Amino acid sequence: MLKTTGLVLGGLAVPGALESCLTSNTSTTSGSIKIGYVSPITGPAAGFGEPDSYVIGLARKAFQSGLSIGGTNYSVEIVSRDGQSTSSVGARVANDLIQSQKVDLMLATSTPETVNPVSDACEAAGVPCISTVVPWEAWYLGRGGKVGQPSPFKWTYHYCFGVLQFFLAYTHLWPQVPTNKKVGVMYPNDADGNAIRGALAPLLKSAGYTIIDPGPYEDGTNDYSAQIARFIAEDCQIFNTFPIPPDFATFWRQAKQQGYTSHVKIGQIAKTGLFPSQVTALAPIGNGLASGVYWAPTWPYKSSLTGMTSKQLGDGYESSSGKQWNQQLGASLSLFDVANAVLKASGNPKDKAKVRDAMKTLAVETSVGNLDWSKNPNFGPGTAAVPNVVSTPIIGGQWKQGASKWPIDFVICENSSDPNVPVASQLQPYTAG
Amino acid sequence: MTILNAILQGIFLGAFYAVLACGLSIMFGVMRIINLAHGDVAVLGAYIVLVIVDRTGVSAFVAFLIALPVMVVLGYALHFSVLERSLRAGILTPLLATFGLSIVIQNLLQLAFSPDVHSLGGSAGAVTTSSWQVTGGLSVSALGVLVLVTAVVVFGALQLLLSNTRLGWMMRATAEDADAAELVGINSRAVYASATALAVVIAALGGLFLGIRSVFDPVSGPTQLIFAFEAVVIGGMGSLWGTLLGGIALGIAQTLGAQIHPQFAVLAGHLLFLAVLVARFGGARVVLRTAR
Repeated sequence: MLKTTGLVLGGLAVPGALESCLTSNTSTTSGSIKIGYVSPITGPAAGFGEPDSYVIGLARKAFQSGLSIGGTNYSVEIVSRDGQSTSSVGARVANDLIQSQKVDLMLATSTPETVNPVSDACEAAGVPCISTVVPWEAWYLGRGGKVGQPSPFKWTYHYCFGVLQFFLAYTHLWPQVPTNKKVGVMYPNDADGNAIRGALAPLLKSAGYTIIDPGPYEDGTNDYSAQIARFIAEDCQIFNTFPIPPDFATFWRQAKQQGYTSHVKIGQIAKTGLFPSQVTALAPIGNGLASGVYWAPTWPYKSSLTGMTSKQLGDGYESSSGKQWNQQLGASLSLFDVANAVLKASGNPKDKAKVRDAMKTLAVETSVGNLDWSKNPNFGPGTAAVPNVVSTPIIGGQWKQGASKWPIDFVICENSSDPNVPVASQLQPYTAG
Repeated sequence: MTILNAILQGIFLGAFYAVLACGLSIMFGVMRIINLAHGDVAVLGAYIVLVIVDRTGVSAFVAFLIALPVMVVLGYALHFSVLERSLRAGILTPLLATFGLSIVIQNLLQLAFSPDVHSLGGSAGAVTTSSWQVTGGLSVSALGVLVLVTAVVVFGALQLLLSNTRLGWMMRATAEDADAAELVGINSRAVYASATALAVVIAALGGLFLGIRSVFDPVSGPTQLIFAFEAVVIGGMGSLWGTLLGGIALGIAQTLGAQIHPQFAVLAGHLLFLAVLVARFGGARVVLRTAR
């Protein structure tokens, strides 16, 4: 019965039929693979899901003639779902993809609220899952992994930057501008803020920076005069924050009104300032803010699934959408590069255990870089490597006006966590305040 | 000096809350509706201003004046399409209807404008970032003064409207007892619609200030709604000047709380809200009993 359905579907799909004619010598049988893809398309994290329709279009095109694995030609279907930036919805759509759609492989991206529940659902159901764009510590510890204990995760795999990459980027970026090495920090009282306070701040201290931390504040705070007064009194020439975007906009305008921004030589923002609109919205005081990227069109890697260079990916998105490139493009496409590679490496993509085993040692070129799951990061010297995880770079740089045809563009100023990424310029002191 | 500065910034912040809360207060006072979509209506107003700025290149303030008639029409449309029908179905239905409306507005905005963040700060001119440095630790921001003056003018104008105009008298009569007002020939349907239109226009003003103070995206509404709601309750449900004072009390509580520890900023506001709630209704037991 199932075979009949497969044949009918194969007959309807014209490119698939064409492919099976052309490769009839090697492919004797056919099958179908379903890939689930969960990202935030609506809700506060919707900016991450914006390039999805373009990226999924590229992936569908690359998969349209199917995948030939172990003498069988499989048609590939991508089923995309909106995690709505909410954990409960993320879990619900993941369970739906697993139980109703019966996906063979799950992909998930962008923020712990979307990714972690999807990973958890896959772990529980025994479906291989690959995810990215959640700092890997937040993905691993946030789901119940413990430092120093063996990994509890058998089905879920992840690749992303972590605290170490932020530390490397900051300590290579900040010495480019002379300062008093006093860092005013605004880390909110949320999962990211507290993780950064616990892990990054001590590393920065050991690198010779003085951290002025007024303490955690609640997301959604509307007045920051207490913190601003403290930063002015301490003359913090470096400023670092991991806020939700509207809070930073409120803070930075008040900092300008109350005279703090004229003290700032480096304004280093993370979590906000990922996408151009978040910085253009601050104009003119957004010009010159320092940030970090996990992908840019100057990345020297190719998407192994589509064969596209990073430049082609950026240009393609800009011409098809009319919008400026953003770093999520490379990350989203890389998920399909990994999916393609692991399905091929498994020998039998319908056998979930074989796909999982292939993940453990997979090495693949993606648009964000060469990923190799036999090389895993750890929680610092002396701790065991964390299987399931590959760490990827964060490259430091600066948002600048007049760098391209767009109102503001990201200029890469250091490449400590991936020396293959070309450096375009030196960090310039912040002068817009 | 830092305490003085905290109080000053608290007053500015509170005036912003009061502008956001004003429309909520009007709708509750006249119709006994708690509009859960109020924050989203404010954000919708900000988007309309944004579109006018983008199309014509005028300043955000001029664009707001152009947007006013649009907001009036939207207010009437909102009333006749959603609120009036739900009002007929009892006290709980408007709450549910506006909750649904909130989700609809957010998703329509995302369809139309993408999830990108926007700001009106750039198009508002120098007022966004300029300030007077009184002494080292005391700064008076131009935007803070502008919001405070606007709040006082808006609340003053509303007071004049309510006490000196025919529409104001009809509103007060309808608020007291809609059925009795009908008996003396007041068209409560029209009065309700005017109140909604007024609330929507003032919500858009709140959206304008939100867009100048910070950035907004399609889901920015609910975060601000909670503070507006607290301002209304602190000032006394349905009391107009109370809402202004309630907003300012909330703002000062937050900035003074931040002086103790940044984490207490939002918490101090919530505690004030809770204290007022308990005090006004004569203790938690009464609150629970009436809730039942």
